Amino acid sequence: MLRITGGKIYDPASGINGEIRTLYIEDGRFVASGEGGRTIDAAGMIVFPGGVDVHTHVAGGAINFARAMTPEDHRRTQAFIRSQTRRSGLGGMAPTTFATGYLYAGMGFTTVNEAAVPVLSARHTHEELSDIPIVDKSSLVLMANNELLLDQLDAGEYERARSILAWYIRAAGSWGIKAVNPGGVAAWKWGGNAGQLTETVDGFRHVTPGTIVASLARMCHDLNLPHPLHLHCNNLGAPGNVSTTLETLRHLEGHRAHIAHSQYHAYGGDDWDTMRSATSDLADWFNTHDNLTTDAGAVLFGDTVTITADGPWQHLLYRLTGRKWGNLDVENETGCGIVPYTYRPGHLVNAVQWAAGLELLLLIEDPWKVFLSTDHPNGGCFWRYPEILELLMCADYRQECLRQLPDRIRSRILLPEIDREYSLYDVATAMSAGPAQALGLPRKGSLAVGCDADVVIYEEDDNIRRMFSHPRYVIKSGEIVIEDGDIRETPDGREFLVQPHCDPDTETFIRPLFEDCYTMSFDNYPVEPHRIPRAEIHHRPASP
Amino acid sequence: MGGKVTCTLGEVKNRADFIVYWGGNPAECHPRHFTKYTLMQKSRWLPRGRKDRTMVLVDIRETKSAKAADIFLQVRPGCDFELLSILRAMVRDEPVDPDAVAETGIAYDVLEDLVRRMKSCRFGCMFFGMGLSMTRGKHMNSAALLTLAAELNAFTKFVAMPMRGHGNVTGADVIMRWQTGYPFGITFNRGYPRYNPGEFSTVDVLVRGDCDAAFIIGADPGATMPQPAIDHLARIPTIVLDPHVTHTSRLARVHITTAPAGIAAPGTAYRMDEIPLPLKPALKSPYPTDEEIVRRIREAVATRPFWMPEDSPQMTTEQL
Amino acid sequence: MTLQTIDNATCTFCGCVCDDIQLHHDQMRIHKAKSACVLGTAWFLNHTAERHYPDALIDGREATVDEAVEMAAALLHEADMPLVYGMSNTTCEAQKECVALADQLGGLLDSHTSL
Repeated sequence: MLRITGGKIYDPASGINGEIRTLYIEDGRFVASGEGGRTIDAAGMIVFPGGVDVHTHVAGGAINFARAMTPEDHRRTQAFIRSQTRRSGLGGMAPTTFATGYLYAGMGFTTVNEAAVPVLSARHTHEELSDIPIVDKSSLVLMANNELLLDQLDAGEYERARSILAWYIRAAGSWGIKAVNPGGVAAWKWGGNAGQLTETVDGFRHVTPGTIVASLARMCHDLNLPHPLHLHCNNLGAPGNVSTTLETLRHLEGHRAHIAHSQYHAYGGDDWDTMRSATSDLADWFNTHDNLTTDAGAVLFGDTVTITADGPWQHLLYRLTGRKWGNLDVENETGCGIVPYTYRPGHLVNAVQWAAGLELLLLIEDPWKVFLSTDHPNGGCFWRYPEILELLMCADYRQECLRQLPDRIRSRILLPEIDREYSLYDVATAMSAGPAQALGLPRKGSLAVGCDADVVIYEEDDNIRRMFSHPRYVIKSGEIVIEDGDIRETPDGREFLVQPHCDPDTETFIRPLFEDCYTMSFDNYPVEPHRIPRAEIHHRPASP
Repeated sequence: MGGKVTCTLGEVKNRADFIVYWGGNPAECHPRHFTKYTLMQKSRWLPRGRKDRTMVLVDIRETKSAKAADIFLQVRPGCDFELLSILRAMVRDEPVDPDAVAETGIAYDVLEDLVRRMKSCRFGCMFFGMGLSMTRGKHMNSAALLTLAAELNAFTKFVAMPMRGHGNVTGADVIMRWQTGYPFGITFNRGYPRYNPGEFSTVDVLVRGDCDAAFIIGADPGATMPQPAIDHLARIPTIVLDPHVTHTSRLARVHITTAPAGIAAPGTAYRMDEIPLPLKPALKSPYPTDEEIVRRIREAVATRPFWMPEDSPQMTTEQL
Repeated sequence: MTLQTIDNATCTFCGCVCDDIQLHHDQMRIHKAKSACVLGTAWFLNHTAERHYPDALIDGREATVDEAVEMAAALLHEADMPLVYGMSNTTCEAQKECVALADQLGGLLDSHTSL
């Protein structure tokens, strides 16, 4: 039994907004009451459900490629020192697995969703995820450029394609699916891209990015997946791409979707010289449609390393910057590109990106629809989230930051005119309750009885950034893991997996297709269940 | 430029109509590379298999792999970096010094033909072996080849990949990266990982006599390293885990026989393109696995006093 | 005697890591490695489940595994700068243990890659 008394409770999932209540924890969950055990006196403190990151890149081939490409950053960043029981690690742009757990927990986050997993290397991703301590995890498998699936869509075989999708989700040990630049990464295998939603994808006869988006969104519904289609739209990063994004949203035909890192998809203008923020167009759509959620993909100034399955975009970024370029095309499934990048306040494009991320977080009115993210590490590292919270909660501070930008930025952004400030309730929604609900994660993002006892307790502080950077306590599944800035315990987190219904003949159908185009044995391809320790498997019958 | 523009082997199987092997002899060192991954496979885009592909071999001598090549280019030993630099210039239509070309041992018109083929293929792939990465120029050679592959993407699709040997050396590389940030050449002597090849790489450490104990697993440096390094291993307490009593075992204080990986020990190994594969042991060994023995040694070390003071900080933002 | 078979076994001899090998084996040895190349076949057929070597050696004398583990721990713990090296011909699971060991010892960690 652990009791937390006297704290101001912010639990948007239960509609509790700053009331003083007592929380009771037993066996890792919240309970209604109890006696004995330890009591944390949280008088004068703020109590949130543990943070949930809806979109991050922390494990697997892509981030591990980025680690290889940035030794110079590892050398200058924070280092976690070995203790008798705790592993060492390095923070920075692409933290090591152990440090990833320490840094997330140290900031009050207790659940993270790894947003991009190729099935071919899912075994690797799970190995890394199990080396990230403290936090619970889920992962999304990359599907919008999978050639076996696209071939079925090309042939008009929707049901067949859906069975293949279900089979892949089970083979990868995943929680849902991610679409990255639908059709564009498949085209990149020949050096091309896909920018128009209604144009046929290179190498196919009929299928277009639009049909991929519509089909995948419908499949997520049919398969009754807990998380809807997680969508990285076409034309990421390009001036004028808001028209592509809006057209993509129309192609969803009313199905639910989560739009990833929408900041990178909200630009007006015709080229790099005329690029401007078009966030109001996108925010209007979100404000008038209830089938959607999004995460900001906010940008913070400074050094980072960009990693994405969007291979063609990364080739362009390499040509624009002349910096290091990593590319890893994954047979039949997806791609991956890595380019180190520095966001500079004096650079007009970067300044627009910085403003656009904040604008989306402020212009989309319902915090249940827009969540805190930097698309780690793309827009900035996840451990910089408290800087974004300060920008969201303090309009004066935003204005002060705006004054550091070039004057000519003002005609290209909306941020100077926005005076909204996030309340603590908004923050708790956008950082925990909202993403947990969007991910469909059971028992996360809430302090209600029966939920996982993941709690973060802050000392009230006028310095917002300091408050959110240094929680007084972080509790994971009822165990105090961070206390007064010290890591107390590093328990292993769980992994959430979904097993959708899959027609029994799917494997027989896939096997010969697989053997034609893959290089590993079909029987060795699915991740064996014993390789995912502490898995919590959710079986889903198909939607009626 | 830095980085690496690469793919998994299936992309080569399915798409590569132009393949270069540079400083490697797959016919003898990776015997199924041609048949399983690169030359012989048919695919929807290369329906005639070998006939739809062109293979170029670049090496200092005509190895058995040359029989499988359409074009063999014999580069003068030690001239790989120069040759790669000339190719980079030619790809950009920049002028090159005829004397420099002559130095490489390959005629200008042959290089012109090679560049034309590289730029006009649909999907090119360069594999490079230790004949490039371990000879004069070493990692600079690899970097030059990787840069050439990256730059060719201005014209067509082009990738490159090292031909890694030594069983699961790729797995070690991948795991060290996610657990420490670095692929090899690491020290934890300040309580966190630091990296400096040349300072913390084994041959250098041993030749200088820096380390005062060695734990050797899945390798036999006593048979392969320079003599001064072997001499130091014999001077210090060395511990060996191996399925065989090796050269290194014979100069070690402790040898423990372990079950061979993949034959009698289960687990995982990474392919050269970083794809993890499950191991399926056929035999039940009378010996324990490496995994079990290293874990038991760690547990035995954990019963002894920890080397760092109790009040050490948890974190530092200023690495020394 | 009929042999047991294992389908789609993985060969770790070279970096190709072919995973389409069919092994025919009895309790003591692998008799056939179908689909394996000449190097892979030699690798599979040359290892057996026989007890060719002592369990352990300490200073050249036969010892038990328990004694050898204890001795190894003592030597590594005593050292100021121990080196953990190799990791090519072993499993990822053992490699993870090796990284943990070097981390615990405050030692050096390196693989074949640095050669």
